[in-house]
Amino acid sequence: MTESRVHHKLSPKEIIVGIFRWFLIIFFAAYTLFPLIWLTISSLKTNFEFLALSPFALPAVPQWQNYVNALSVAGLGRMLLNSVIVGLLATVFNVIVASMSAYCISRFRFNGREKIYTLFTAGILVPLNALMVPYFVIINKLGLYNTYGGMVLLYCAIGIPMSTFLIRGLMDSIPMDLEEAAYIDGCGFYGRFFHIILPLSRTGIVTAATFEFLTCWNEFVFANLIVSSEKLRTIQVGIRYFTNQFSTDYVSMYAAIVISIVPSILGYILFQEQIISGMTSGAVKG
Amino acid sequence: MKKLIALLLALVMVFALAACGQQAAPAQTGEIVINFPSIWVGTDSKAEYMGKLIEAFNAENAGAIKVVVEEQTDYQAYRDKIRTTITTGSAPDVCILDTTFDIKAYAESGKFMDLTPYLDAGWGKNFTDGAFDAWSVDGKVSILPFESAVFTPIYNKTLFEKAGWDHFPATYDEFFQFCEDCKANGINAMGQMAGDNAWSSMLWYSLIVEAIGGKDVYANGLKDPAFVEAAKVLKQMYDYTFDGAVSATAGDVNGHFIGRDTAIYLNGPWWIANFYKEDNAVDGKLLADECEVAVNPSYGDGKGNGGLVTTVQGFLAAAKQDDPAKEAAVVKFLQYVTDPTHVSELALSSGAMFFVKYTPSPDTNVISQKVTEVANSAEFTILHVNGAFPTAFSTEFPAAVSALVLGEVDEQGFVDMLQTAIDNAA
Amino acid sequence: MKPTRSDRSALAAFMAPALIIMLVFFVIPVIYVVVVSFLKWNGISTASFTDIQNFAKLFNDKAFVRSVINNVIWALVAGFIQVPLAMVMAIILSRKPRGWKFFRTVYFFPQVISGIALATLWRAIYSADTGLLNGLLRSVGLGSVARDWLGTVDTAFPAVLIYWVFYVGYYMVIMMADITTIDTSYYEAATIDGASDFQQAIYITIPLIKRTSLLTCITLASVLGLRQFEQVYMLTNGGPANTTSTMVLYMYKKLQDTNYGMASASAVVLIIVGVIFIVCIRALFNIGNDEVRAQKKVRRAVK
Repeated sequence: MTESRVHHKLSPKEIIVGIFRWFLIIFFAAYTLFPLIWLTISSLKTNFEFLALSPFALPAVPQWQNYVNALSVAGLGRMLLNSVIVGLLATVFNVIVASMSAYCISRFRFNGREKIYTLFTAGILVPLNALMVPYFVIINKLGLYNTYGGMVLLYCAIGIPMSTFLIRGLMDSIPMDLEEAAYIDGCGFYGRFFHIILPLSRTGIVTAATFEFLTCWNEFVFANLIVSSEKLRTIQVGIRYFTNQFSTDYVSMYAAIVISIVPSILGYILFQEQIISGMTSGAVKG
Repeated sequence: MKKLIALLLALVMVFALAACGQQAAPAQTGEIVINFPSIWVGTDSKAEYMGKLIEAFNAENAGAIKVVVEEQTDYQAYRDKIRTTITTGSAPDVCILDTTFDIKAYAESGKFMDLTPYLDAGWGKNFTDGAFDAWSVDGKVSILPFESAVFTPIYNKTLFEKAGWDHFPATYDEFFQFCEDCKANGINAMGQMAGDNAWSSMLWYSLIVEAIGGKDVYANGLKDPAFVEAAKVLKQMYDYTFDGAVSATAGDVNGHFIGRDTAIYLNGPWWIANFYKEDNAVDGKLLADECEVAVNPSYGDGKGNGGLVTTVQGFLAAAKQDDPAKEAAVVKFLQYVTDPTHVSELALSSGAMFFVKYTPSPDTNVISQKVTEVANSAEFTILHVNGAFPTAFSTEFPAAVSALVLGEVDEQGFVDMLQTAIDNAA
Repeated sequence: MKPTRSDRSALAAFMAPALIIMLVFFVIPVIYVVVVSFLKWNGISTASFTDIQNFAKLFNDKAFVRSVINNVIWALVAGFIQVPLAMVMAIILSRKPRGWKFFRTVYFFPQVISGIALATLWRAIYSADTGLLNGLLRSVGLGSVARDWLGTVDTAFPAVLIYWVFYVGYYMVIMMADITTIDTSYYEAATIDGASDFQQAIYITIPLIKRTSLLTCITLASVLGLRQFEQVYMLTNGGPANTTSTMVLYMYKKLQDTNYGMASASAVVLIIVGVIFIVCIRALFNIGNDEVRAQKKVRRAVK
């Protein structure tokens, strides 16, 4: 549809709209790229340059040493890997459980449905910091302190209300008669879920998965609370290696952040190409 | 695409299982493992030597005792974790505590090991006189004060000359004359910050409170008139600091001082290493070469003369053990860490100060030596305000200072804000 | 759909994992929080029952009242300014202008950058002496407007809020995915009828995403606004004079004070405020009404 519009003569109004459109596109791009550029430049300064001179000046000599410092943190690679493992596993379990419950809540009128949905909604709002003590006890009682399992379970669990909410929102928009038709054709509960609803809800599932993964990736409080072994530390712990209440090595911290961003951006690009595009153009089976 | 995802997942599963397998490996038989979550890691000045010390301890006790350090770099997260573990009755074998006001409650909780018999057996002689007085409960010591800190101003001589001064002000009246001279010469007299935890302003406030109220200023809580009086002085100081001090953080205060536009710096001894860093030299001149150690000026009738603001920067504590062998191992480790020769090395490498009697190394840098002299010549000491009051005081302090400086409350209102915060938590 | 008999067991099996998780990780812990909200407890000594004193103290504390107001403003701004901005960008990019894939990726970047980095950058931009914003103002002769943006009572909260409003990538991506599922024949027909891009957006796109991704984004943004913590914590720590405080930050500080009673009470208030907020949003969109839900939305995918 875009192509057909390109060739006819543009009216002044269309030109103004076009300029405005590009202004917005570029403004938002600059707004989001600026932090990344600033961060990279800051990661090449000395602490003196960063603290005592203008924070927006360029470094006199690029300090690659900061990257050496950042990489010297024992097991930064391991931390990245841990974040990926925990994040992916928690996300997979999370969206499986959440899409199952979202399906039930969205498609069936059973007793207590509204109460359950209210419970999920309230769950989104719980400030998790308040739950440090109970979560610590639960994870310990389950024998999962200091294990991948504990982190995966906790991350999967805390994201359930949000994921259910996101997936249910999408499932609600799928017309009921589609499923009813399948039902009349003799398609069972599982068949309808796997062959009709799940493929049609991919947008919601991907939204929930992205949200869940980012939550895991950025989570620090519980990662620190329920794990003690260095082998299980996640990248957020690594980033904080250079911050200390009494002496922060800002520039090395920025280098560590840049290092930690690279895989997530690459991951995102891969993720979006593979999944978002597939999701929006894929054929749907009925 | 589905295949790709399946492959990725399979890969992750394999990794996860492999890692879980490693995790499940049982400890070697007979070896006692001591779990020690520590904040003396990362960029902390004690990190390097502590690392070596623990390694040496593990080597000496190979096969018998193994100290496993859980690296904790974020103070607040560390406090959260320690508090949660203590609340749920699973305190770590050895840990560091630093919320001074809670120490008594922790000691009373009975969740920590009673160290009194070991201290009485001779170990106690290693510590400075009276080190345990304020922290023991019913004559029993379960939490050891270990790292200390003193707070005394350090000033930049070059900037003093520029402002026409050849000495550090002896009284607060003189101090504000100096501030005026600084202002006339485009110099910030001192760094203040009300952002983040308002650390620098908290220290300045402590110094002023000490100068006004003297030794027993904390005896009546915040009711002592010194607190209102000191608030006046603190507010006045904000006229002579850099722009934007209300939202400033420690990075800003440090940046202005190493950027040579602020004349007086106030922080604990752990910061001294920065005076000697090549990074912070300007025109080949180390910051240390431009700086001199001073003492807190006197105020009014001089009630606070000869006093010094200090704190306990870190306590060592050990969880109660059922197994006597493990208890012995933990005590052995604590004795190793607090051994005077090790502490001397630790002090030299980090610049920090301790509640252990040790002979300072002759290699100690000049600023550290002078700070130690100030500490040794003090007639009495008081804690900084954050240490003297419950945590609720320190969490409310930044809000109270900014409200005071911005004129949202008056001096009495400032003290009231802090009092309310304390009452709410009590 | 009413579940048939054979569906019932499947339904139970499908709901069970989520319900067990909700019970263990939400219901039980929240009951704990509610109980503690009526206690005076520091986590170490014995707790004592204090009636509703914690709640009374909360509403007598100006900082807490300010936090509630800030959160409500935050939720409204997020839902009704940030999300519409994101929607505009989603509509623009879904028309596939040159480089749209690049921009879609770029807009998402802030989500993967550590919050610490974003906060330090914006502290530097708002800084009184070396700040970029003040520099810009001075260079265009507006030096008198320059100030310590994060250290002035009137400007601190708007400053914290405004910078963050323009990070729209996450919501934009959600809505874009939804927009691309709209049947293109709608637009083709509209173009033939001479409808402008703007008219097409108003009469086709927005009505079709209104109850799906737009509602999702508004609810999501509002909830995140009500739970706002990290950005405020790192940018201002609630200062100056508690004017930028939020409920979760307030609660966090009470936890630091080992004031578990008031911390739990503020968590309870947050949940209640949040539920009211969500109910209002749903009412606004008329959701929960079966007739409305039955209105069918035609999608290419469904055809």
